[in-house]
Amino acid sequence: MEPIIRLENVSFSYKINEKTKVSVLKNISFSIIPGEYVAIIGHNGSGKSTLSKHLNGILTPDNGDVWVHGNNTKDTNNKRSIRQTVGTVFQHPDNQIVATIVEEDVAFGLENIEVPREEMKKRVDEALNVVKMSQFRHRPPHHLSGGQKQRVAIAGVLAMHPDCIVFDEATSMLDSFGRKEVLQVMRKMNNMGMTIITVTHHMSEAAEADRIIVIEDGQIVMDAPPREIFKHKQELKNLQLEVPSVSQMAEGIHQQFPDFSTELIQEDEFIDEVMKFSKVEVI
Amino acid sequence: MSSEFEISRSITIGQYVPTDSYIHRLDPRVKLLLFVVIVVAIAFNTSYIGNAIGLFLSLYLFWASKIPISYGLSGVKPAIPFIIILALLQLLFQGQLFSGGKVYVDYGFILITSESIRLVVVSAVRFIEIIFLSSVLTLSTSTTQLTHSIQSLLSPLKKINFPVHEISLITTISIRFVPTFAIEMEKMMKAQASRGADFGTGGWWRIIQRTKETFPIIIPLFNIALSRAEDLILAMESRCYTPGGNRSSYSVYKTLAKDYLVLLVGLLFAYLLIFYPFPF
Ligand SMILES: Nc1ncnc2c1ncn2[C@@H]1O[C@H](COP(=O)(O)OP(=O)(O)OP(=O)(O)O)[C@@H](O)[C@H]1O
Ligand SMILES: [Mg+2]
Repeated sequence: MEPIIRLENVSFSYKINEKTKVSVLKNISFSIIPGEYVAIIGHNGSGKSTLSKHLNGILTPDNGDVWVHGNNTKDTNNKRSIRQTVGTVFQHPDNQIVATIVEEDVAFGLENIEVPREEMKKRVDEALNVVKMSQFRHRPPHHLSGGQKQRVAIAGVLAMHPDCIVFDEATSMLDSFGRKEVLQVMRKMNNMGMTIITVTHHMSEAAEADRIIVIEDGQIVMDAPPREIFKHKQELKNLQLEVPSVSQMAEGIHQQFPDFSTELIQEDEFIDEVMKFSKVEVI
Repeated sequence: MSSEFEISRSITIGQYVPTDSYIHRLDPRVKLLLFVVIVVAIAFNTSYIGNAIGLFLSLYLFWASKIPISYGLSGVKPAIPFIIILALLQLLFQGQLFSGGKVYVDYGFILITSESIRLVVVSAVRFIEIIFLSSVLTLSTSTTQLTHSIQSLLSPLKKINFPVHEISLITTISIRFVPTFAIEMEKMMKAQASRGADFGTGGWWRIIQRTKETFPIIIPLFNIALSRAEDLILAMESRCYTPGGNRSSYSVYKTLAKDYLVLLVGLLFAYLLIFYPFPF
């Protein structure tokens, strides 16, 4: 299948001043296929946010190219269609809500691309429905919880009917309840056929994805399905990363009961294994 | 002790009271326009009767919009010292300028006449009327409606390249962030207070001390504002915002027959306030 996003030897550095540059991305190449659910992980400062800003042309590479549906992000004529294709949800729920009323904020992007009013109404309703925020549509944003605000931000992106949404640590400011709400929405959208790219520090969140890309010092060091990635406990540790807490617990139990599987990354798998195991023991 | 930190609670901007009265349902542009016109008319009117009618109108509007009058009074309360000081100054020093009518006191430079008393009373009442009227306007109209109305009323200026859209977006964003910054400021005051900073213990008359107290708050607040602004620009750009570009509009207001009727009545009212020779 034709990739929705393709990076070819992308390098990028921030210019601090005339003389100094900080090289952040180093020769990165990968492709994302429509409908994929990809997590990007890496420790602080490894270049994840810089990378995600390249995916919709907010930043453009110094060397190499980013192609979105075959359009180069360097071509300014493509800017609007690229940003319509790839939406971004950022970390701070407060810093991405523009309007004073929820539904107006959801409409902000649609106003920018001059969607006719009737169509706009329909899309706003639809988007608020998907994130289950319809009953809050007339509220001012400062009367919402963090998780609710983040869902409004998602609705704002969703209303533009993108093919792909990038979440840059979109759950990191939320408590576990808010995080669950947002994760559910992400799952749902992926099931609806949307491509999801999520940057995260939570390994349990990364375990939800179909594929994990591990970034270290602006380079890709691993790119595989979660189960594959989390087998490499030692390598991850060297990259200052962990495995999901479920895997850690499984490992602990495995020390006591060698039959207990260590290749568990999701909660329900873990529960299943415990059930299976306790039955075996009882009989 | 807790009260001095709770800034976000005492912010009344955008304090919309949704009672769904017919005042609430009026076209916000009509409301805004009439507000401006009537305030101007009140400013022109110097008669007792005219201002009594104005006061009556503003009270009627509270009743009609089903908003408790206490909201209006709480707007007047902080202005009372100001109104009193203004009245005293006018009474003592402006008598020479408005020296018509009966003379009550004539002592040195102090001249108190029936005309100067009229001036004092009328300007105090005027003040209260204007506070009431603006309270009704902001309590019955959401900030979004207001900014949209401003945009809509200013839109003829687009022809002379006045950035109407940008102005209205800037207004919206500022209003949007008022509560956010208030909360931010609260957090910061608590953080500073827990490290021994002293807020609000000096009386309000110790202006210099109280100003100094705010520096450790204002400077970090600027920092936060700037970094938020950067984030906001990124988020807006990601959602296809192009400065100066064409945009469509989500909220559209229809002016109905009843809006025109209210507009007509309001304009007539303002006309009378300005031009009718009230006897008293
Ligand atoms: N606007 C900027 N100007 C200069 N340097 C920057 C800028 N933004 C980021 N950097 C630097 O680029 C490097 C990568 O930053 P980036 O934000 O991409 O990392 P990250 O992986 O997203 O980190 P985190 O997990 O903390 O979000 C860091 O060393 C950072 O200091
Ligand atoms: Mg980051």
